[in-house]
Amino acid sequence: MEHTHQQHDSKKEAPVTYAEVNDTVLKMLEPPGTGWFLLLFTCLFFLAIGASCWFYQMWSGFGESGKSHPIGWGTYITNFVFWVGIAHSGTLISAVLYLFRAAFRQPIYRLAEAMTVFAVMTAGLFPIIHLGRPWYALWLMPYPNQRALWPNFRSPLLWDVFAVSTYFTISATFFFVGLIPDIAAARDRATTKFRKALYGVTCLGWRGNHIQWKHFQAAYLIFAAFATPLVVSVHSVVSWDFAMSIVPGWHATIFPPYFVAGAIFSGVAMVITLAIPLRKAFGLERLITPVHFDAMSKLILMTSGVVTYSYITEFYTAWFSNNPFERFQFWFRPFGEFWVAFWGMTFCNCIFPQLLWIKSLRTNIPFLFVLSIFINIGMWLERFNIIFQSLTREFIPAAWGGYNFSWVEVGITVGAFGWFGMWMTLFIKFFPSVAITEIKEILPPPMRRAEHGHAAVANAGHHH
Amino acid sequence: MVESSSRAVVGVFTYMDDALEAVKKVKAANMDYRMYSPVPRHEIEEVTYPEKSPVRRVSLIAAMTGCACGFALAIWCSLDWPLRTSAKNIASVPAFFVPGYEWTILFGGLGTLLSILVFCRLPSVLRAAGYDPRFSNDKFGVVVACSGSQVEDLKRRMLDSGADEVDVRDSL
Repeated sequence: MEHTHQQHDSKKEAPVTYAEVNDTVLKMLEPPGTGWFLLLFTCLFFLAIGASCWFYQMWSGFGESGKSHPIGWGTYITNFVFWVGIAHSGTLISAVLYLFRAAFRQPIYRLAEAMTVFAVMTAGLFPIIHLGRPWYALWLMPYPNQRALWPNFRSPLLWDVFAVSTYFTISATFFFVGLIPDIAAARDRATTKFRKALYGVTCLGWRGNHIQWKHFQAAYLIFAAFATPLVVSVHSVVSWDFAMSIVPGWHATIFPPYFVAGAIFSGVAMVITLAIPLRKAFGLERLITPVHFDAMSKLILMTSGVVTYSYITEFYTAWFSNNPFERFQFWFRPFGEFWVAFWGMTFCNCIFPQLLWIKSLRTNIPFLFVLSIFINIGMWLERFNIIFQSLTREFIPAAWGGYNFSWVEVGITVGAFGWFGMWMTLFIKFFPSVAITEIKEILPPPMRRAEHGHAAVANAGHHH
Repeated sequence: MVESSSRAVVGVFTYMDDALEAVKKVKAANMDYRMYSPVPRHEIEEVTYPEKSPVRRVSLIAAMTGCACGFALAIWCSLDWPLRTSAKNIASVPAFFVPGYEWTILFGGLGTLLSILVFCRLPSVLRAAGYDPRFSNDKFGVVVACSGSQVEDLKRRMLDSGADEVDVRDSL
């Protein structure tokens, strides 16, 4: 309610109508201009670099990845954790905030959900790339085979297979189901043969009658309820890949909440990184308003606090444990060979976001754009610190080692951004990337009788 | 001449309360109808479909099946290829909580998807008679199945309720 009023009153403009929502969002699907093609080809170029590097690595051997003892997990696993983290906030925004009836989620949730699905698709590539021989990836699955072998269900790595594959399936399903009514709206406006066929098939013949809406709403709520525990579980399971081991710097019970908070932190930042150019390019200023950026900024501020607290707790636990290996690891991180990564992470994740306590900065779009990029760099560095720094300094000094990035790893990392960007670019041009139905839900419905109209306004955002 | 019993009267409404008033009249006359709207609203549900949706039952059963299957898969695979770790049970249930938990959600989600498809009758390849593209934009629609003799009466009721326009089609 407060949101609706702010959305309408802040600019002293006429309230947004149902038709305007359709017009604005479906306008985004109009034939693309040069800018869009440029963006797509840039993404494809990066993707080509990544794909070439991957093929080179398969051809030439896994040694090209730059990994050698003691660094068994390197850039690929860092990228995996980074992209799973990016995926998280999409589910938080689409499912958790739906259950909490947070009206600010409506204009950004589709974008966040698309980001989730494409980020999981990106994340899922890295364990496969990391296998070295990706054609054996099938062995991760428990399927009947000639040697009657089964994977080890007590291994966190297998838990990860279950967690990430379930996460992808459910988030993709949730995403697609939410899209159905909006695709139907696009179908009803489509003019070209291709678009008519595309939307006609993908909306499954949706008409929006009262029976369909009834079951749709019930199912959507249940999807949200199923997706909510995934927000907590997926990154917890990813964190157990580390925490279940005895490596100093990994073996910590704080890892699951620490990873979940970090994931939401980085994911919200990525939503901001994507939403700002999209809002500008497609004139979505009346749908994605400063109110939404203010709310996302507060989410960033909160999760930055949790992440900072987790960092401090890690240091405290290492000191309090009196374990020399743990103590050394947490001395090594800020003052050792890779100190730049540690202090870079601290600046990006702990210090820089504190500026969001200033109200005017929470709605300062250029500032938020810069901050969101810094946060994502910071979160990549966090995973670098956890993975590389711990592995370079394990228990016995004789087994310590260093690490050099190889150009193959850098190429594949760049390729991942191309892969993710390609899907996002295609999506925003072919499907409604702002949720038409959900935005209409927070608007007061057109009513002839004023007293009902008021009642409807009072119920806006609380009517599910 | 045999009178047709498969006509459809289509009312197009700008205002939701007008459309709901028309629905109330149609329901009172015990006629078959569909109300189309660009957005789901509680006010519409209360008038058209106040009962609980059966989707949740399907989801619950699917989720419980997933939980049982997740644990069963992990336990059976472990027993079939035993990996002994010190004196721990081969079927170490706490470790199998993750596959059980994930499959609870996976099966529950897929069951929910299936229930949407079944209860919403999707995918629907047939063109719904009376559907107007404006119903996904900003208009509300009430489509009522009736016999030829009821058409005029229904048209009048729709217009009385505040319909912008009323059309007659061949079938619902």
